[in-house]
Amino acid sequence: MIEFEKFKLENGLTVIVHEDHSTPLVALNILYKVGARNEDESKTGFAHLFEHLMFGGSVNIPDYDNPLQMAGGENNAFTNNDFTNYYLTIPSQNAETAFWLESDRMLSLAFTEKSLEVQRNVVVEEFKQRYLNQPYGDAWLLLRPLAYKVHPYKWATIGKELSHIETATIDDVKAFFKKYYHPSNAILSIAGDISTEKAKELTEKWFTPIPAIHFSKQILPVEPVQKEKRELVVHKAVPSGNIYKAWHCCARSDYDFYATDLLSDVLARGKSSRLYQSLVKEKKVFTEIGAYMLGDLDKSLFLIEGRLTDGIAPADAELELMKELELIKQVPAGEDELQKVKNKTESSLVFGEMNVANKALNLAYFEMLGDASLSNEQAALYNKVTANDIMEVAKKIITPENCSTLYYLSQNN
Amino acid sequence: MNRTVAPGLLEPEKIHLMEPEILSIQNAPIYIFNLGTQDVAKVEIIFNAGSRFHSLPLIASLTNELIDEGTSTKTSAQIAELFDYYGAHIQTECNVDYASVTLFTLTKFLNKTVALLIEIINESIYPEDEVQTYIQQEKQRLTINQGKVDYLVRKHFNAELFKGHRYGYFPKIADYDAIKRADILAFSKANYHSGLHSIIVSGQISDVSKKDLLKVFEQLKAKKTSTPYEINHPKPTPPVHKFIEKEDAVQNAIRIGKRLFNRTHPDYPKLTVLNTILGGYFGSRLMSNIREDKGYTYGIGSGLVSLSEDGYFYIATEVGAPVFEDAIKEIFKEISKLNEELVPTAELTLVRNYLLGSFQRSIDGPFAISDRFKTILLSGLSYDYFYNYLDIVKNITPQELLTLSQKHLFPSDLTQVCVGKKLL
Repeated sequence: MIEFEKFKLENGLTVIVHEDHSTPLVALNILYKVGARNEDESKTGFAHLFEHLMFGGSVNIPDYDNPLQMAGGENNAFTNNDFTNYYLTIPSQNAETAFWLESDRMLSLAFTEKSLEVQRNVVVEEFKQRYLNQPYGDAWLLLRPLAYKVHPYKWATIGKELSHIETATIDDVKAFFKKYYHPSNAILSIAGDISTEKAKELTEKWFTPIPAIHFSKQILPVEPVQKEKRELVVHKAVPSGNIYKAWHCCARSDYDFYATDLLSDVLARGKSSRLYQSLVKEKKVFTEIGAYMLGDLDKSLFLIEGRLTDGIAPADAELELMKELELIKQVPAGEDELQKVKNKTESSLVFGEMNVANKALNLAYFEMLGDASLSNEQAALYNKVTANDIMEVAKKIITPENCSTLYYLSQNN
Repeated sequence: MNRTVAPGLLEPEKIHLMEPEILSIQNAPIYIFNLGTQDVAKVEIIFNAGSRFHSLPLIASLTNELIDEGTSTKTSAQIAELFDYYGAHIQTECNVDYASVTLFTLTKFLNKTVALLIEIINESIYPEDEVQTYIQQEKQRLTINQGKVDYLVRKHFNAELFKGHRYGYFPKIADYDAIKRADILAFSKANYHSGLHSIIVSGQISDVSKKDLLKVFEQLKAKKTSTPYEINHPKPTPPVHKFIEKEDAVQNAIRIGKRLFNRTHPDYPKLTVLNTILGGYFGSRLMSNIREDKGYTYGIGSGLVSLSEDGYFYIATEVGAPVFEDAIKEIFKEISKLNEELVPTAELTLVRNYLLGSFQRSIDGPFAISDRFKTILLSGLSYDYFYNYLDIVKNITPQELLTLSQKHLFPSDLTQVCVGKKLL
């Protein structure tokens, strides 16, 4: 249970404060409601490149990191398809430094050519390090455009291709900032060793002067219902084969989310899960197997990925996998099995609130979904799910025509 | 309001490290950190069961990793089912010296899950089928790792630094083929049925009766023993430069460094400060130059590693193949600068403040403080190590840092290993 207070500034910034005086630290989290899904198809990878530029100095402060480190703070950021998140922790006596830094970069960036040029290179190296120079690193770059034909989820956060990042101009950057980085498109959450009054006072002092900007809501294309199965086979320089199966499923805010999430847990969470026991331990057709749903803001994907045991034909392993999936569509999970995945979920919710940085992120995330108080309702929402709900969800999404399969195989066989 | 002026800063109040409550069973200490805001707990049982205690290199780690794969009364699936049912999970860890089995659990199930943990430690039978399945998985993982430049560079770098010593060991496929279940069983008996080192419990456990918890712990077969072993200090190795070709690499991986010493050496805490300046934080010289100025890499860093009989210093990065030579030149430029120029006061002040804040973060919360405690416990040190370190952070001078650099980080003493694509 995270107790919090919420208020809104006149410029549209939503602010959430949670006090926790068991720590000497304060966490500050700013979530901007912009991700790769908001990008133009000819300029992909932009939201993430922009995240890098947010550290290149702001209008009144030439360097972001130095003053923060001087105050004993540490920060980082991440971008996904739906949003961009910046977070820091700082010793509480220096909390004001965080408000000063974050408000200035919400006000305006320095926009230097040098910073853009360097960060373009850094992101290109990131692309290489994480996606091109790793075994299976490009699997998602192949899977997304297979599963999505219209919706911007068809490209990955890092971008569709290196050239999009390499050709980004300073004008692109400025336009992007203006459109997405303003108070009413952001959620500020503050958690830790700070009183609500003090947090309010500092927020008003530093964030109130930032002018409001109004943009009409972006309408994203809706992915049409998939009507036939899609397959892609690639042979690459990897020693063993992987299979990725992606089915379209509901969005994070849909009622079905909780049953869908528990379906993935019944299938593959932990060593006692169905797929692990049956396919890895007993039949030994896979050496690793995972199932999860992405939980995106728009209609999302339900994924199963497995690494083939060397010497097992992909079709044979897939057949065994499909038998297990048929089973969950026909027979509801047992009472103990359901209780087990609910207990696991409860446990990870509790472990997920171990530090103020996580609590601040949770509050901002659920506020983006609609209301920060949702963070305190998750356990109950998972608890309401019945074995029948899980079976119904499985029936609905696990169909051949709803599925895209990537066979990522070794070029050696 | 003048936004160009930073708000004033305050030094942290004197940093205090929470002392654990100490109980004991079987002559072994149980350290308890009862704190936190969440009703969760972590129980770490540490054994003298590192790889040094067996002549075959992988026996210790397999005995550790496969500990939950079956007892005489419970199958691997049943054990997994029980832990999963309680929402608990276990983590295993094994290095040259120690092995540990760690349980993460909701406090309300603490006694039940600890009892289960102890049952498997006492009764594990390592079924042949589970051992074979695991070996197949590990062999596959190893083959995949051998396609990664960062794995390869670590392996070759350590092998150069610690020629012929366990610290330089990385597994080969053939090592897996040499594993026999009987060796694992014997190792389990020798090192998990005795060889208990200590137990660390942390988390919000106010509602748990210590008497009940002790009763559960007393079920452990293992007694505290100080298993003797031969100290085998690695022999000094001369610096080498090595390039391992990997034709299809998109980026080249670089490791530069040398053997040093462990945490018990008086220069170690001082070197922590020097290392931070060079490559230990986002604003470090290596990051500022090679990433933030040149854009050669996604990340670069340096670190100090403390081992029981030795230690080492390293710089690690992956850079685009075409800028590989330039990146190495810039790395050495930064090392030379540390050897030739005093660190400016402003930079040192920033690093001091960053390290103090960073230390506060590292002791925040029950699991964090217990991790810190474990570090010094296993190094045979006390909290005085940290209090001394904090004094050094606050007081070390640019002159001391210069002397330290000249003593330990002389450029021509450094070994350099690279994996990637050779440019013509």
